[in-house]
Amino acid sequence: MIIEAHGLRKTFQAKRGRGKTEEVEAVRGIDLAVEKGEIFAALGPNGAGKTTTVRMLATFIAPTAGTARVAGFDVVKDAAKVRENIGYVSQAGGIDDNHPGLDQLLLAARLAGMSKKEAQARADDLLTTFSLTEIAKRPAKTLSGGQKRRFAIAIGLVTSPPLVFLDEPTTGLDPQNRANLWDEVKALRDRGTSVLLTTHYLDEADALCDRLVIIDNGTVVAEGTPSSLKKEVAGDVVTLKLKGVEEAAEALRAQTYVKEVRTEEGLLRAYLDDGEHGLPHLLRVLEERGLTLESISLDRATLDDVFLRHTGRSLRDAA
Amino acid sequence: MIRQTSLFLGYELRFLLRNPVWPLFGIMQPVLYLIFFAPLLGSTTASGSMPEVLAMFTPGSMMMIALFGSLFAGFGMINETRNGVLERLAVSPVWPPAIILGRVAKDMLVLVLQAILVMGVAILMGLRIGVPEFLVMLLLMAVTGLFAASLSYGLALAIKDENGVSQLVQFFAMPLTLIAGLFLPVSLGPDWLQTLAKFNPLYYGVEAGRSLFRGDLGDSTIPIAFALLIGLAVVTLVWSMRSLRRLAA
Repeated sequence: MIIEAHGLRKTFQAKRGRGKTEEVEAVRGIDLAVEKGEIFAALGPNGAGKTTTVRMLATFIAPTAGTARVAGFDVVKDAAKVRENIGYVSQAGGIDDNHPGLDQLLLAARLAGMSKKEAQARADDLLTTFSLTEIAKRPAKTLSGGQKRRFAIAIGLVTSPPLVFLDEPTTGLDPQNRANLWDEVKALRDRGTSVLLTTHYLDEADALCDRLVIIDNGTVVAEGTPSSLKKEVAGDVVTLKLKGVEEAAEALRAQTYVKEVRTEEGLLRAYLDDGEHGLPHLLRVLEERGLTLESISLDRATLDDVFLRHTGRSLRDAA
Repeated sequence: MIRQTSLFLGYELRFLLRNPVWPLFGIMQPVLYLIFFAPLLGSTTASGSMPEVLAMFTPGSMMMIALFGSLFAGFGMINETRNGVLERLAVSPVWPPAIILGRVAKDMLVLVLQAILVMGVAILMGLRIGVPEFLVMLLLMAVTGLFAASLSYGLALAIKDENGVSQLVQFFAMPLTLIAGLFLPVSLGPDWLQTLAKFNPLYYGVEAGRSLFRGDLGDSTIPIAFALLIGLAVVTLVWSMRSLRRLAA
């Protein structure tokens, strides 16, 4: 176990004007267990408490309650030891616009205790890995968002830590850069580095992680591998747009091949283990009742369906 | 600790060497004052000669760079409270005070270099100053820079807002300038002004500078200025380091 957290809580005192304060419970009791060498994702909408959780695990803020061990050390009592064993790439990135990326990389390496020579060698390695050699000496303000993000990750990896935290690593990147970054994160795992990343992108969690937790309102609402979580919901989802949603839902709930039915504003979602075979039956039932369809689609269940099942809303609406 | 501080200092200096023009702009103000304002002050000194006027006026113009330069040093750090740089450093194996000490060291160095240039201009204009006095003056500038820069980082980390910090610094800079007798000694003014000046740390810096430029190394204003500025620098340094630690909350 590279991360073990029990009952993590964080309460902030938020200012509400004129000296009034209000308690905000950002994280309300989170348990996490991350295995060595896996990519672990915390998926959830903005404001769910993902960043606060990562900040507690990375020793940036102290938990209000609960305990956590990261790389074998307590995040409060042995914060210094934890810091020696992690790389942390915040959502903001931590790149200083005025200085060249190379200088920042070298400084981080030297601050970690490397000699000038070691730092230079390590920086060269990372620049090659992240294809940054060409732009290493340009002031960071002249770089694109994707290039800056790669520098941020390179700096996070400068000490070759066994664990890296990536907070929303692909937010704001174009699809090409996102895909490249996914490959780089996978390559990290191949080299034995454990990764904890947060994201509000379903496809990112789905494509990248070995296991994940879904976080909503400061608590873990589901945990597992992407496929096991999706299996929980059912393999396929049929989305129907029609008039008389309630009547259709009632009719479909009576069918044995339909695992679950959800409705929302003129939309009906029916979860089926085997969509290809279930669809003709489902259409016949609706026809018998004289219900006319406006549109229909058959998709594989996604983590959004998992999120919907556990929170009652779609992640797209929640964010 | 010293190693980390010097690493931060080196990092900042490399930036400075790539952009060496900005500190030069900083000395334009005092140099312009020396050239265009000092000649008007002939009637305020006993003999009215240029060397005497310069001995009175140059220390004030040097304090000006500290006020209008070093007091703004913290500006860059406000951005770093947002762009994640300080957040990243906070969870790295860094001795936190080094983050501020490295920068303050850079600001002191810049101020001393600027002071050398301003004194150089004054010497070209006719100022006469001995080597020991010159060196002690540079030390005085260094501790002034230490105080002004730490105060600036403290404000930056406590307020975390560019508008707030610039308003506050402007708000204090003008009265501090006037009450220190930066342009003309307060001894020319009424008693109440002289009393008021005694509460302004800058006043002691300027007076110590004037004693040095008069060649009066034994004057009591000099140890008072050093003790006061170093004391205040320590207080503001501790304060800014505390603010840095509280950044996460």
